[in-house]
Amino acid sequence: MSEILDLLTYPFVIRALIAGSLISICASILGVILVLKHYSLIGHGLSEIGFASLSISAALNISPELVSTPAVILASFVIMFVSQKYKTAGDIAIAVASSAALALGIIISSLSGNTSIMSSYLFGSVLAITQGDLIYSVVISLIVMASFVIFYNKFFLITYNEDYSRSLGINTTFYQLIISILTALIVVMGMRIMGTLLISGVIILPAVSAKVFASGFRSLVIISGVISLIAFVSGLILSFVFNLPAGAGVILANTIILIIMKVIAKK
Amino acid sequence: MKFSLKHAVIKYSDKIAINDVSLEANSGDMIFITGANGSGKSTLTKGIAGLLPLSSGTLERTQRMSYVPQIEEADKNFPAKVREIVITGRMRNGKLFYNNHDTEQANSAMKELGIYELADREIKTLSGGQLRRVFLARALCGEPELLLLDEPCAGLDAESHKILFEAINKVLSKGCAVLMVTHDNSDLDGIKAGRVITLSNGKIINERNS
Ligand SMILES: Nc1ncnc2c1ncn2[C@@H]1O[C@H](COP(=O)(O)OP(=O)(O)O)[C@@H](O)[C@H]1O
Ligand SMILES: [Mg+2]
Repeated sequence: MSEILDLLTYPFVIRALIAGSLISICASILGVILVLKHYSLIGHGLSEIGFASLSISAALNISPELVSTPAVILASFVIMFVSQKYKTAGDIAIAVASSAALALGIIISSLSGNTSIMSSYLFGSVLAITQGDLIYSVVISLIVMASFVIFYNKFFLITYNEDYSRSLGINTTFYQLIISILTALIVVMGMRIMGTLLISGVIILPAVSAKVFASGFRSLVIISGVISLIAFVSGLILSFVFNLPAGAGVILANTIILIIMKVIAKK
Repeated sequence: MKFSLKHAVIKYSDKIAINDVSLEANSGDMIFITGANGSGKSTLTKGIAGLLPLSSGTLERTQRMSYVPQIEEADKNFPAKVREIVITGRMRNGKLFYNNHDTEQANSAMKELGIYELADREIKTLSGGQLRRVFLARALCGEPELLLLDEPCAGLDAESHKILFEAINKVLSKGCAVLMVTHDNSDLDGIKAGRVITLSNGKIINERNS
């Protein structure tokens, strides 16, 4: 226990804890929408595209947020549009495009000799969170949470039934775009900590666990956020204690929670 | 005039689903739409609701419209409570939050349809008849001038039937125009007399009074 408390004396641990907690909560509340709308693949696709853009920015030595944020936002528009319009064929197209992006990112990183950066982007790194990253994640998390509060009733409706929402005169495309942008922002920041390969799990898993016990949409959102926070903090501790990449610890914690939920529900 | 559709054509890619249909409703009008499966009843309703574009023809319609779709698979799985669904009938573009008046309207609509006790149940736990009543409560709490109902009676038990008809008659008497898709001729008896439109292959082939 005291070892864990000792960790809190390291500034990078504090930064990781704050940034990661906020990102985890945001990822999981957006995850509720993505899971219910069967857009679970999106987080995965976006992070692989984000990885390519991070590799490019590292190779060109420019700020990663500057390149990857617009790139991933653009990609999220395309993915939402394609998966709505072309359904299963769209999912296949997204899988193809995003694994190509992942390969491209790996090639660029290897050729430009940035393999250490590559592994930190693939597996995530809490050490990578600078003071600037921390501020960036706080700002982004506040934007996501505020948008979620302001547009909660609209997000609920769009998630529930788009046809019905349009019959109420609601501009569903506009809110789709907002959801895409918020997802992109969270993916870009979240993949730095959790890793390209695991951020989509941080988005999806808490919502899946919360679905086991939640009653109603509001409770689903709240429980999902709480589970994600618990999973992040305990995953971070796991990763320090066993010297694992943080993303893996967080996903492990999320998976354990999901199994426990399912087992309790069975009884 | 609550809506006026003139020479409407609605297509799904190349397939014509509604072919040169004209239809109009004024305050307090009751219109029944009948016809075989695939004759275009749902398409016509969605067209009037503004959910499908007209390939040609014109539509004029009041903004205060409530549309009750056929029950979709999505409703059987979606994790929402009855009260969360009903109050959405009060949502409009540009509006962000519900106020106390909205909550009161939703509550009284639930009471009117006998589902107030179900308010905290998740919709996926409801029977078909209960879910239909939830949809109608949602539509009514928006205080519509035009109510579009797509097969509201499918799979209803006798009690839900009766409550539904009472609610429809009540909004008709308040001046709301109602368009209702139905398979079942016995539905015509429970509701105030109106026009019965029969569709076949996307065209109106018969019109009579009920
Ligand atoms: N989304 C769609 N895409 C293509 N064709 C459709 C679609 N929805 C309905 N149709 C076709 O349009 C015709 C009318 O359908 P619909 O309006 O649902 O009929 P009804 O409600 O009378 O059973 C049918 O031939 C149906 O197959
Ligand atoms: Mg139909």
